[in-house]
Amino acid sequence: MLIPKAAHSILTKLSTNKKNRKLPACPAGRQAANHKVTGFIPVTLCICVLAAFLLGMAKRPQPKAFIKKLPGSRYQLIVDGKPYVIKGVCYSPIPIGQTSSYDWWSDPNKPWLVDGKLMKEMGVNTIRLYESHEDAEKVKIVIRDLYEKFGIRTIIGNWLGFWQYPCPFYGDKGFEDKIKQEILDMVKALKDEPGVLMWVLGNENNYSCLGQVNAWSTPEIDKEINPQKQKEMRYKIYYSFVNEISKAIHAIDPDHPVALGNGELIGLDQANKYCQDVDVVACIIYRGKTFGNLFNSLKATFDKPLYLSEFGADAYDAYLDKEDQNMQAFFLESQWRLIYQNLATNKDGSGNCIGGTSFEWNDEWWKHDESNPQGWERHDTVSNWSNGSYYFDIKAKDNKNMNEEWFGIVALSPELKDGVNKRVPRKAYYVIKEFWKNPNFSNGKKNNKK
Amino acid sequence: MKKLLVVLAALLLAMPVCALAEDYAASGSAAKTQLKEFVVYTDKNARDNHYIPSGWMGDYGDIKLNDQSADNPQAGTTSIEINYSGKKTQNQGWAGVYWQNPANNWGTKKGGFDLTGMTKVTFWARGAKGGEVIQKFIVGGIKGTYADTATVEMGPIELTDTWKQYTINLAGKDLSSIIGGFGFVVNADTNPDGARFYIDNIKFEADPTVKPEGKKQEGMPFYVYADKRSMNNHFIPSGWMGDYGDIKIDTASSDDPYLGDTCLKIVYSGKASQGARWAGIYWQNPANNWGNVDAGFDLSKATKVTFWARGANGGERIEEFKIGGIMGEFSDSDTAGVGPVILNKEWTQYTIDLKGKDLSYIIGGFCWATNLDANPEGCTFYLDEIKYE
Repeated sequence: MLIPKAAHSILTKLSTNKKNRKLPACPAGRQAANHKVTGFIPVTLCICVLAAFLLGMAKRPQPKAFIKKLPGSRYQLIVDGKPYVIKGVCYSPIPIGQTSSYDWWSDPNKPWLVDGKLMKEMGVNTIRLYESHEDAEKVKIVIRDLYEKFGIRTIIGNWLGFWQYPCPFYGDKGFEDKIKQEILDMVKALKDEPGVLMWVLGNENNYSCLGQVNAWSTPEIDKEINPQKQKEMRYKIYYSFVNEISKAIHAIDPDHPVALGNGELIGLDQANKYCQDVDVVACIIYRGKTFGNLFNSLKATFDKPLYLSEFGADAYDAYLDKEDQNMQAFFLESQWRLIYQNLATNKDGSGNCIGGTSFEWNDEWWKHDESNPQGWERHDTVSNWSNGSYYFDIKAKDNKNMNEEWFGIVALSPELKDGVNKRVPRKAYYVIKEFWKNPNFSNGKKNNKK
Repeated sequence: MKKLLVVLAALLLAMPVCALAEDYAASGSAAKTQLKEFVVYTDKNARDNHYIPSGWMGDYGDIKLNDQSADNPQAGTTSIEINYSGKKTQNQGWAGVYWQNPANNWGTKKGGFDLTGMTKVTFWARGAKGGEVIQKFIVGGIKGTYADTATVEMGPIELTDTWKQYTINLAGKDLSSIIGGFGFVVNADTNPDGARFYIDNIKFEADPTVKPEGKKQEGMPFYVYADKRSMNNHFIPSGWMGDYGDIKIDTASSDDPYLGDTCLKIVYSGKASQGARWAGIYWQNPANNWGNVDAGFDLSKATKVTFWARGANGGERIEEFKIGGIMGEFSDSDTAGVGPVILNKEWTQYTIDLKGKDLSYIIGGFCWATNLDANPEGCTFYLDEIKYE
């Protein structure tokens, strides 16, 4: 057993004092008694110190999951004492005909059992849930089923009030206290589930600091006329809030890392100032076949381990107007290759990546036209956003090439099996399965999807 | 005797045709015959010329090409004389000519030559006065169904009034099918009064001493915009975004430039012409490259981008100035920016910090974007001296 430096120095000091002490001359019998007395005190002290140390050790076992920092700002996620690469998917099993508000947790057919089996066969070891359910018992059942039956762990997120109408009032104490309490309640309820892996705070909330989505302000920010300073003030408020929650989680749950959810790397230079108490950065990245300078850039701005919490590709060619599973598989394989290239175990990479959860496990048919229940029954092929890095179909009308309802690595069939929509694995399912079995990441120069 | 003369005459006429046929058969694959050189042009009517100067581009009405100019040829009896008026006849601001095979082949039909084994193109050029700027000389680069297998460019080049030989390095390039054997591009910005120049002795050569060029790290400073006519400019303001109908750009505004004769004047009307409620421009390389062309500059030596900006009235808000960030098959290697910025009425210098950035591949050299919410009445602003340092 290693003796902590402090305890070792106390013992050394006591021992040294004893050696240096000049004992007065006295009769032999008395001297012997004196020796007995003087020897008793340090021995007792030693035992006390050792006992205190052992008690301290007993109270602080190694966390179930934690980040290990290696030389050169390289990081590993350690789970149950072993390195753990997150090989995951974002999970939202909304059936055909339902929308985002559907309570799948209460589905008596338990879709996660169907999915868990398929996931295990593929090699998935983690799912990411964007949020928990108000009934923690239901969440525990899902987490427990996935973990006990399939060995799949769960990353659980919280939106930090991002979608609250009219906007998230960061900087408002009442709002922040409410959100913080909601998260701590969730953590208290779920932290002892063996299947829990990590907490993720926020998703792309940093964009609200730019005023691009769900813009918010405070009276102090409104008084500032310099827009760059306004932006910095928002970042300070938001990232400080995340930091405060992270500290509070650590106080009640030392067993699981806390991640800051972030859209791209935007604002992370400010997070570096105000959000040092998070353990991991969970980034959402859609950059096609490459992540560019992502890994090194994070190292330079906010030196934390990187978990790619959302990335991926759709399986619909908006230009040719037909499903293209090859296209999706091509991008996903390239993305996973880059993740592996930058794990701590690869000496040639950045070493700061701990894995990822691709978006997403299954298609979601409600996404294109959320307000129209008829649209939930239809697998829409209309694209509503553009991303040039998914270049195979960028020549689609108005360059809109991203098909939100086609990101699943398993497609949904209207046909029911065991009460849930039949899952139809796409090519990406098999390609990634093979990649995980035999991760060959030496060649990143593949350019052809076919 | 008469019959004999007719036969002889027929033979004499047939010989060049046969020779030409043999030549084409052989030159269809330079690699197969291990040619040492492959001529594009030596003299008018030289029997070993290949390719036709048929691919006129841009302001084609601004160009006159005489391929039998006897005005001081570099060698032989003729050279190619090009007169570029710079009048923007087709309103493009640039013009050029490709030597193609067969004539007018824009990658729509089979043709070209297998020039495997060739390692360089050499040619001679001179200006009528000196100072004429050729934006680029090109080998290959024609797209289409039967696209060229390589694209190599060189330029810009400022000509002198005496003959000078130039070399385009082709070592390591895939020359297995080249339709566009040679070409040039000039523009009105760098030749506002037009240009007259001469080219002679264009040929591919198999020189084993020529080695492939590594990716060149550009020297600093590296200008995006110095002055309208500066040949130091790089990138083209071609990437109009959002409400592109709301934008007007004058690349030669003489309205109080910060340095030199001209600056950039940008007018954003804020009319939301395309309904986007925002607008912006990317400076790209080459023009209109949204990541589909492999043509990034290696600007790794840069630690910052600086530029000067001012608003017409002061108070104009630009949401972001940035570099990089174009995503496509050939994405920018990184991105960096500054903003939002509220402009002053006086010239003010701004800096984009590039420390820690990967600038090894940049096609989006500079960009600005603003929106209607920030400028409900639109805005007018000026930029000058945009450079990587």
